[in-house]
Amino acid sequence: MKNVFAFACDQHDLANGLRLITVPLPYPNVVSLYIVVAAGSRNEIEPGKSGFAHFFEHMMFRGTREYPPERYEAVLQETGASSNAYTDDDRTVYHTTIAKEDLETILAMEADRFEHLEYPLDDFRTEALAVYGEYNKDSAEPLHKMFEVLREKAFDVHTYKHTTMGFLADIVEMPNHYDYSRQFFDRFYRPEYTTLVLCGDVDPAASRAMVERHWGAWRRGNYAATVPQEPEPTGARETAIDWQTPTLPHLLMSWRSCRYDDREKDCAALDLISFLGFSETSALFQKLMIEEQSVDMLWSSNADHVDPYLFTVLARVKEADHVASVRNDIEETLAGFRDRLVDERRLDDVKRHLRYRLALSMNNAEAVASTLAHYVSLRRTPETINRLYDTYESITAADLQAIAQKYFIEAGRTVVTLGNPA
Amino acid sequence: MKTVQIGDPTPLVTFRLVFLAGAALDPPGKPGVAYMTSQMHASAGTRTRTYKQILDALFPMAAGIGAQVDKEMTVFAAETHADNLEPFYEIFRETLLDPGWREDDFERLKDETMNYLAVNLRGQNDEELGKEVLYQEIYPDGHAYHWHNAGTLSSLESITLDDLRTFSRANYTQANLILGVAGSFTPDLSSMAEGTASSPKITQPPEVGENSVVIVEKPARSVAISLGFPIAVTRSHPDYEALAIATSCLGQHRTSSGRLFTRMRQLRGLNYGDYAYVEYFPAGMYTLEPPPNVARSEQIFQVWIRPVERAYTLFALRLALYELDRLVREGITEDEFARTRSFLRKHRQLLMKTKAAELGYAIDKLFYEEASAEPTREDVNQAIRRHLRADRLKIVMVAEDAAGLRDELLKGSASPMTYNSPKPDDLLAEDKIVERFPLNIAEVRIVPVERVFS
Repeated sequence: MKNVFAFACDQHDLANGLRLITVPLPYPNVVSLYIVVAAGSRNEIEPGKSGFAHFFEHMMFRGTREYPPERYEAVLQETGASSNAYTDDDRTVYHTTIAKEDLETILAMEADRFEHLEYPLDDFRTEALAVYGEYNKDSAEPLHKMFEVLREKAFDVHTYKHTTMGFLADIVEMPNHYDYSRQFFDRFYRPEYTTLVLCGDVDPAASRAMVERHWGAWRRGNYAATVPQEPEPTGARETAIDWQTPTLPHLLMSWRSCRYDDREKDCAALDLISFLGFSETSALFQKLMIEEQSVDMLWSSNADHVDPYLFTVLARVKEADHVASVRNDIEETLAGFRDRLVDERRLDDVKRHLRYRLALSMNNAEAVASTLAHYVSLRRTPETINRLYDTYESITAADLQAIAQKYFIEAGRTVVTLGNPA
Repeated sequence: MKTVQIGDPTPLVTFRLVFLAGAALDPPGKPGVAYMTSQMHASAGTRTRTYKQILDALFPMAAGIGAQVDKEMTVFAAETHADNLEPFYEIFRETLLDPGWREDDFERLKDETMNYLAVNLRGQNDEELGKEVLYQEIYPDGHAYHWHNAGTLSSLESITLDDLRTFSRANYTQANLILGVAGSFTPDLSSMAEGTASSPKITQPPEVGENSVVIVEKPARSVAISLGFPIAVTRSHPDYEALAIATSCLGQHRTSSGRLFTRMRQLRGLNYGDYAYVEYFPAGMYTLEPPPNVARSEQIFQVWIRPVERAYTLFALRLALYELDRLVREGITEDEFARTRSFLRKHRQLLMKTKAAELGYAIDKLFYEEASAEPTREDVNQAIRRHLRADRLKIVMVAEDAAGLRDELLKGSASPMTYNSPKPDDLLAEDKIVERFPLNIAEVRIVPVERVFS
């Protein structure tokens, strides 16, 4: 494999700032449309308004004059569409997979709601309850709680302090902020924030024409959110959660990480360390999961973010008595990266793993579009994928050591534990 | 052995091996054997390689081997890049034909499975918990479908490696195998034992005579609800297509078009979503598409009400029953019929989005004798009247303060709904009917969560 993202892409900018990326794929008749808005819970800068990007994603299904919700639903249903949306820190994504013959119908309908969304106060207040229901359904899951607490503890000023769902107090207050919801739409649902990704049985020239036809009149906005930047970390932090339902002890350790960058080595090196140190072939996994069997879940992530986020390691420990030693093992693993050069063969294995993993994951039109949606919200071009993977290739054992020394420091550490009260 | 082979224009090779043998064949008193056997093949060492060696070999290829067990099917699924086909297949073949049966693998997998039941399912996923308990209520002890596919905690304690070896030998045979491959490669599995086709004894579950509720008691912010009853319809039944249209219209999984979603969430904000099913659909909270190869000879009709606030639990239950009752009495409209039929036609094509799905559906076709029906609206409405109903239901709720909830359910007093915004008069008038919709609950049982899957 030379380029890991080897599909031919057509990239086209409309005069209003909207970008269209078209990727023809050898899957007959299927088209996947991902509409990526480069705004997520990171953009919720006003106090008391956490969770609004996600709430707004719900409101986008509340109709326009041309397509009230019943008509919107009827059209979707007639096309057999698989359709949904998600919001996270840095993006809101609306996706629909359809037969080729229905593409223009869907493009027209989607353009209409991005341009002309309109909803009454009553619908807004009702939808706020569905969001509250979503918070409630997630609340049985310890990891949701742990990440909620981790963010609050690890960040002081950046909006990554709250989860995408938002602070519970803000969710409860949502029904009272109708005007803010209109403002949110006005700020971010604009062509310069939006990229359309079209993958599957598509012709780039015809797609350009269709998108120009339906999205060309959408007016550019002029808002840029000033997201407060988190100061350098100044000391280790820690907190514990008492969990009422019987569970196993969970240990979530994190270190302040870096922002996504496809050329700088920091971000790519931390990605590699998460696999070298904690994936299923790592020495730690072998020790804790296979030999000692003291842990039944171990993973690590250096999730891509627009601003510096967190490198996280999670372990679910079978017995409370072992939490301290598992924690020590995780610290030792990271100290190993600081103190020693990693084995070159292991490093090559991880690089190969990442390339094949990506290739295997893109096995249908929807999966390719979904992968692109993630990256275009960070760099707005598919080229970032190959650049990132080239950066992975360029990283040496010495790079890893230097970068580990920079990031795995006590001052940047935040730890959250969860378990049943003693 | 049957073979399903399809092409793939990309440099990937997809394997899907389905044995017509699953948890319905667990030996008496040993639920979990089929599940643990699959794990000892897919997630453990082989005779010549330790699990660690397998992980090390597969890692640079980013390939993995997955197992899925349901009542009548066990699936081994894997995908590899053509660059790595030869070394990958060698390992895949070994895991299928020559497992290692090591004690330390067994202990690790047993622990994982027990924690899945005792921690994940009991403690972290009220919705899946409620659905699984509903199945246990509908298929009583003694029925081949009664136990959770992963077994029970006490059974997992007692299962031995010999139980698993025996299960593997008897059931992972050519006679039970449907071999699915996408890509230009044909595996040679002729050294697999020929065996004889397994034949689990699947009987019809007993009729449900009256409405009854089980409340699984645990700390919870809100109340997850599932309800249903057995139906005589599978994909082999002439009414299947009609009932699929009816159920899609009532509550197509994770779409916002169904009546339940529209009436409960969209108009009233009661919860995050509400759906209806005529086929087993595990892990619906994680996936938008139904998993193939969970084919069953017996199915239930089911309504899934996502967690609702405690104060509106009775109203939500009543509204779901009211909608179900309305469907049975009035059927679906011409417009709903046309839209739903169009939806299903196209949606089913879109479900074949991966080679794994395409293989999976082709394999399910070999399980069922699918009737090719083109029902009319009248056929759909007749099928609804024949098979669906809004009474004689098993209802499962996952909630705290179970005693208080039980008293409310048995008392059956009106459960008025209030809103945070003005609502149209016709909706408020409908609420007046819904708040008194008869629950007719004959029995409420409270089960502490610690007792489930024990």
